[in-house]
Amino acid sequence: MTATHLSPDSTRTVAAPPARRRRTSGNRHLNLFLGVIGLAAVLALWQICAVTGIVDPNFSSSPSGAFTALVDSISTGAVWDPLGSTLSIVAWGMLISVVVAIPAGLLIGRNRILYGLTDPLISIMYSVPYVVFLPMLIFWFGIEMNARIVIVVWSALFPLLINVIAGARNLESSHMQVAKVFCASRVMTLRSVAFPATLPYILAGVRQAVGRALIGAIVAELFMGSAGLGYQVQLQTSNFEMDDAMASIAVIAVVAIVLTRGVAYLERRFTFWSGSD
Amino acid sequence: MNLPRQKLVVEDLRLGYWSRRSHSFSLACDGLSFDVAENEFVAIVGPSGCGKTTFLTALAGLTPVTSGRLELNGEQIEGPAPDRSLVFQHASLYPWRNVVANIEFGLKAQKRLDRRGRARVAELIDLVGLTGKEDTYPRELSGGMSQRVNLARALATDPDLLLLDEPFSALDAQTRELMQDELTRIWQSDGAGTGKTAVFITHDVPEAVFLADRVVVFSSGPARLVEIVDVRLPRPRGSEIKRTPQFQEIHDHILDLVMSQTQPGRRAAPHDSNAPVAG
Repeated sequence: MTATHLSPDSTRTVAAPPARRRRTSGNRHLNLFLGVIGLAAVLALWQICAVTGIVDPNFSSSPSGAFTALVDSISTGAVWDPLGSTLSIVAWGMLISVVVAIPAGLLIGRNRILYGLTDPLISIMYSVPYVVFLPMLIFWFGIEMNARIVIVVWSALFPLLINVIAGARNLESSHMQVAKVFCASRVMTLRSVAFPATLPYILAGVRQAVGRALIGAIVAELFMGSAGLGYQVQLQTSNFEMDDAMASIAVIAVVAIVLTRGVAYLERRFTFWSGSD
Repeated sequence: MNLPRQKLVVEDLRLGYWSRRSHSFSLACDGLSFDVAENEFVAIVGPSGCGKTTFLTALAGLTPVTSGRLELNGEQIEGPAPDRSLVFQHASLYPWRNVVANIEFGLKAQKRLDRRGRARVAELIDLVGLTGKEDTYPRELSGGMSQRVNLARALATDPDLLLLDEPFSALDAQTRELMQDELTRIWQSDGAGTGKTAVFITHDVPEAVFLADRVVVFSSGPARLVEIVDVRLPRPRGSEIKRTPQFQEIHDHILDLVMSQTQPGRRAAPHDSNAPVAG
């Protein structure tokens, strides 16, 4: 279910302007309803397979077992520590990525020489699956919290950077002309024209970056285990606690959905004006 | 002779730009000379691509002058300044600003958005007929409404010289007629009884005759001056004036001049009964 939000984007589709999808509310309700039905059907099938012994619940877990484990981990409070750990490195990673990528992207997008210099590098860094750098990053930075943040930044920075650059490059010349004709200062042009004009791209970039940041965090925890939800899944799976592992995965799924939906909400809230103009 | 004060002086003006593609200098306007008096509404017509838009962007200060004089109030135009406003061909509104904020943009850019500025904006919203649309965002506005905002934004800074770049060319025929009426009304009623000095670019001859005190005809590119035609029609003008014989006469004369530019062979041709008729 989270795969659509979290799968690494291998193609460079980000340069396309973020289109606003407008669905009628009837359609949206229907889709939600169908989605719940589909999910319930798969869970029911899984449960039947586990109960009837078609699959061994010791290996495959079962929805009821995973649910019990989830309730347990919440009631004992065992879930909060790993959840907090994962969320905090995602948050730090995103914060660093946003603080670096937005100004850097605006600068690169508005400067032809900088763009020419950095474009191939950024494209390569964006396209190569960052996971291959993981062993090297462990070698360089160790397996402490800082090292995990490096991986999160590594995975989140480039989609965001590419989007901000695309936004800055696609500033409509007419918008800049209006600012010129009315004698807007450089600061005002940047703040009141360039920034809002780039905002749809920035938020589209943040949406992608958040998804990749979460993958980065989980992957880092799987490999450099000491804390976090990824580490927990790894540990529980090695101990054959399949129900607990599935419960942890369910928590990760919820985090993924909340994060991407949260950014989608921000997009609707702050770029409602974009689209047909 | 009681000459009105010359607001804008154009003398032996030459404009051009470096083409990035062909690495050569292309001339847009050459040897232009004419004056625009205070409170005068001048329309410039010419074949498409003749350089009239380049001329307007030079007036706005967006295109540098290659040589010659281009003086507003006795000072050479060297860049954009608060004394000029441009009404853009495509409304070019900021989609993230609502109607009021778009109209306020120029005043805000020039740090003049004080109580008087806000009062001016409120007055303009009323004048251009946008009452009730203050909080609307551009994507919900029709083409005509967008151009009203575009016009109000230009008028808000109270410019000495108002520049209009084919503002109605993208509108449908009915809206265009309506906006022409509206523009004359707004122009006639904005300011203390007299209209602002305005330069209006168009390729639509009836529009030029209807709006202007004088129509300047440009040749095909590079633009040279063909003729300046006085439009001696009374003001205030309503759309019914387009059906008068005087209007027709001026219109046909200018259309002939423009057509002879687009099709040099027609230069000597007599009056063509197939020529498009205004209205």
